[in-house]
Amino acid sequence: MTEATTQGARSADLSMALPVLEAEDIPQQGAPVISFDRVSKVYPAQPNRPALDNVSLQIYPGEFVFLVGHSGSGKSTLVRLIIRELRPSSGTITIANEDLGSMRNWRVPYLRRNIGCVFQDFKLLPNKTVFENVAFALEVIGKSRSIVRTQVPEVLRLVGLQDKLDKLPDQLSGGEAQRVSIARAIVNRPPLLVCDEPTGNLDPQTSRGIMDLLERINRTGTTVLVATHDREMVDNMRRRVIALERGHLTRDQQRGVYGFDV
Amino acid sequence: MSSLIYFFKQSIQGFARNLSTTLGSIITIFLSLFIIGLFLVGAIVIDNIVKSVENEVSITAYVKDAPSQDDAAAYKEYQDNLAAVQDYIKGLDGVSTVSFKTKDQALEEFRTMSTNSDIVDELGANPLPASINVELSNPQQVEEVANQIQSNAAFAKISDEENPADSLKYGQRTVERLFQVTNYLRYGGIVLIVLLVFIALVFINNTIRLAIMARRKEIAIMRLVGASNGFIRGPFLMEGALHAIIGAALAIGCIELIRRFALPQLQASLAFLPIQVDGNLFLIIYLALLVAGLIIGLIGSAVAMRRYLRV
Repeated sequence: MTEATTQGARSADLSMALPVLEAEDIPQQGAPVISFDRVSKVYPAQPNRPALDNVSLQIYPGEFVFLVGHSGSGKSTLVRLIIRELRPSSGTITIANEDLGSMRNWRVPYLRRNIGCVFQDFKLLPNKTVFENVAFALEVIGKSRSIVRTQVPEVLRLVGLQDKLDKLPDQLSGGEAQRVSIARAIVNRPPLLVCDEPTGNLDPQTSRGIMDLLERINRTGTTVLVATHDREMVDNMRRRVIALERGHLTRDQQRGVYGFDV
Repeated sequence: MSSLIYFFKQSIQGFARNLSTTLGSIITIFLSLFIIGLFLVGAIVIDNIVKSVENEVSITAYVKDAPSQDDAAAYKEYQDNLAAVQDYIKGLDGVSTVSFKTKDQALEEFRTMSTNSDIVDELGANPLPASINVELSNPQQVEEVANQIQSNAAFAKISDEENPADSLKYGQRTVERLFQVTNYLRYGGIVLIVLLVFIALVFINNTIRLAIMARRKEIAIMRLVGASNGFIRGPFLMEGALHAIIGAALAIGCIELIRRFALPQLQASLAFLPIQVDGNLFLIIYLALLVAGLIIGLIGSAVAMRRYLRV
């Protein structure tokens, strides 16, 4: 916690820009950031076994939500629906008051600029340095060089990688690489951060560091959705838990636990 | 403007960081354009040679000797017929020039052409007939023109032989075969070049496709962080264009070297053939190679990217 505050103080710009909320008192009010209304997704390859079946859920601004379930339960499908990499077979998805069903294709990049994404396999560009990987996210949305030069070191300091700006991804440990990908996801200060198994490749201790980082980002007001099957993490943090089983939403619980038998 | 500079910087970086694929596509473009260019030059040289051979084709219409001037009426009739035939031939389609060679001129020509001119002096009277020489603007029409001349009434009266057809010399059989050969050469050349262009298209397109496939991860990440399709396409298109320009420049350089050094040597050793090609034609070839390379590079990149840009 003390480490977090000093880190936070050093990156004052980023943290001060948004109100710091206490983790416990996030009211579920206002317009939801993510809203699923009776969403189903059927892949053509498996017409009889929907990946998501009639799922409805609301996630409000500032929440920290775990999405849990076994492999194949539909977690990744849900994440890919949010960033509109997939389109639902039926039902409506609304992200920040915008209906993804009626969204035109050319608007999709603008949607994605408002959603930070973190994946299990980091998705870093192997031939770019840490700095360039993060800067890339700003450059491709047309930010000026001066913004890149100030914001990238700042966000890398926030994730604790200020000394590794010039390293290439394969010179980093798994935890460091995941921090880079988190830095890339938040450098643009999106209101929503979506993580698909962010600790899937990491050992428990490193995973805790990543989760601390996500929690810190959440405290600056960013809504965070983490799809995971990391039981220990979910049980320790006691946040809202949404459970999926074979495409059905089986549980939605404040301060929940992982709850599946291993 | 700033994104143009960004595209350019990215494409230069792309160069350095994907050196092997970059070299691969540059070399493919270079070789394809070089071979096409070589064949174009070759086709033009061959066309030159074919034209010069074809231009040798002319019609000689031999006429009988003029009657002596004592018989004024016959002499006048002969001259009138001669003038009428020449006018008639001039009016024919496919004829460029018509000239008359007198008996004396024919003898003089024979004297300079033959190795021992003494023979001529041994001859008492001049045995050579006068002739009308017809140059053709379109050598392929030689047979038509000859047929029209032989069926002309005035020519029948003054032709050297009894049968006017026998007085016309244009290498009948040879000409037919010559045109067959030259036409084969022409159409064969066109087919070959079309085929080469097609092969080059497939080659270059494939190389670009591979180069872009190798970077599909990069494209996926660009999409993930919210880059618009235009922004993703920019650096790739610029890279494709740069590859094409460099490949085309190399090809043009090589062809220019050949033109400067190899062609004059060839001409020197084959002096009887017109090998030298007009410089302007080379300029056109160079321009065509550059434009073709650019179009293939840009369109190839755009098409290859399409499947990775589908939202």
